[in-house]
Amino acid sequence: MSRFVEAPAQLSISRLKSDLVAHNVALPPAKSKKVVYVELHLQHIDLKNAADFSSDEEDQVQDVADEEEYTEMPDPSGLTDDELKAALLEHGFKAGPIVETTRALYEKKLRKLLQSNGRGCLNGVEKGVLYSDDEEEEEEDKELGSEEEEEEEKTVKESDQAQQGSSQQLDMSIVDTMKNQSLYYTPKASPYKRKMKLPQEPVKDTIKNMFPNTDAMTPGIYATRRRPIKGAAGRPVQYAYPVTPVSPMTLEKREVERRLVPIQIQILVFLIVTCLLYFIYVCVEDNSFSSAVALLDSLYQQSDSQEGLLLQAETQDVPALSGQD
Amino acid sequence: MSSTSQKHRDFVAEPMGEKPVMALAGIGEVLGRRLEEKGFDKAYVVLGQFLVLKKDEELFRDWLKDTCGANVKQQGDCFGCLKDWCDAFL
Repeated sequence: MSRFVEAPAQLSISRLKSDLVAHNVALPPAKSKKVVYVELHLQHIDLKNAADFSSDEEDQVQDVADEEEYTEMPDPSGLTDDELKAALLEHGFKAGPIVETTRALYEKKLRKLLQSNGRGCLNGVEKGVLYSDDEEEEEEDKELGSEEEEEEEKTVKESDQAQQGSSQQLDMSIVDTMKNQSLYYTPKASPYKRKMKLPQEPVKDTIKNMFPNTDAMTPGIYATRRRPIKGAAGRPVQYAYPVTPVSPMTLEKREVERRLVPIQIQILVFLIVTCLLYFIYVCVEDNSFSSAVALLDSLYQQSDSQEGLLLQAETQDVPALSGQD
Repeated sequence: MSSTSQKHRDFVAEPMGEKPVMALAGIGEVLGRRLEEKGFDKAYVVLGQFLVLKKDEELFRDWLKDTCGANVKQQGDCFGCLKDWCDAFL
């Protein structure tokens, strides 16, 4: 006869949870010890069972049925692909194709969402329970509340370092009591993250609406290394800094500057060429070759006369010099 | 504009073709070998995974971490590299 009514301590936590839910008992937070579940189980369910002993089999059937109807489906790996996708959609996350390589990731995502939503559920239920007549439950809630506060103090320090992974759960505990909302809005250095933030925000809004007590979970805070300041803090200027983006105007200016020196040479060459051309034009205009020759001769004569003068000067000098000796 | 490595710029400059997985930014020899062991021997296979995850950053980062043990910086570099490549060629 005692087979159907096992001692709660022998049941697994998930079984205790489902039993509590079946009997409409408030669940303690997700990470409570088994003892808590066992106590609650003893208080509510065993009393009930003692009263309705004859309907044990019916209770068993009901418990099983309630387990199946337990909508949060705590075991993501037991779901089919379609169920997993539906569950993710319930939590406001639109999943892509669930194939072999992506299944594990989506299961993990669902677990994360369940935990954060479970906490949201429990916060609402706790407040309802606080106003109940049961003194023992109030004491338990206070104990749990103090535990959360202790976690908060730790997490306030730890989340300042803004690391991924473990901080997600700690962030959630902060977020639950909505104490320090500024931590949620840590600046994200990566531009990719900024772009991804936009499609995620409508998702988070729906979650906010579903659970007004909690904020949406941060996907993780990613920190990228800040570009080191040139020459600051004794840092030598050895880093190869990337080329700063240059506007087209400055590029054009630089090109023009590069050509300025050759430009002068080009102008000079141009002038020489124009002189030559003018010279030839003049010759051609006279339409007689002899005049061109005469022009050339006159030029040579000038140069010859200059030479002749020089020679005369030299010969005069020589006798003068010889005369002095 | 955040600073990108030379590897990133080289990868995003042209279609990836048959480039090995180690051509991806953030994926060096060790990580590349691990990915190859899992069957992701070419960059386009990792691209396939990236696209199946609908270019979601968080999921892709988690997948990289689980598959080859990439750290946060490597995850970010690889994600950025693939995202830019897709923006340019896809």
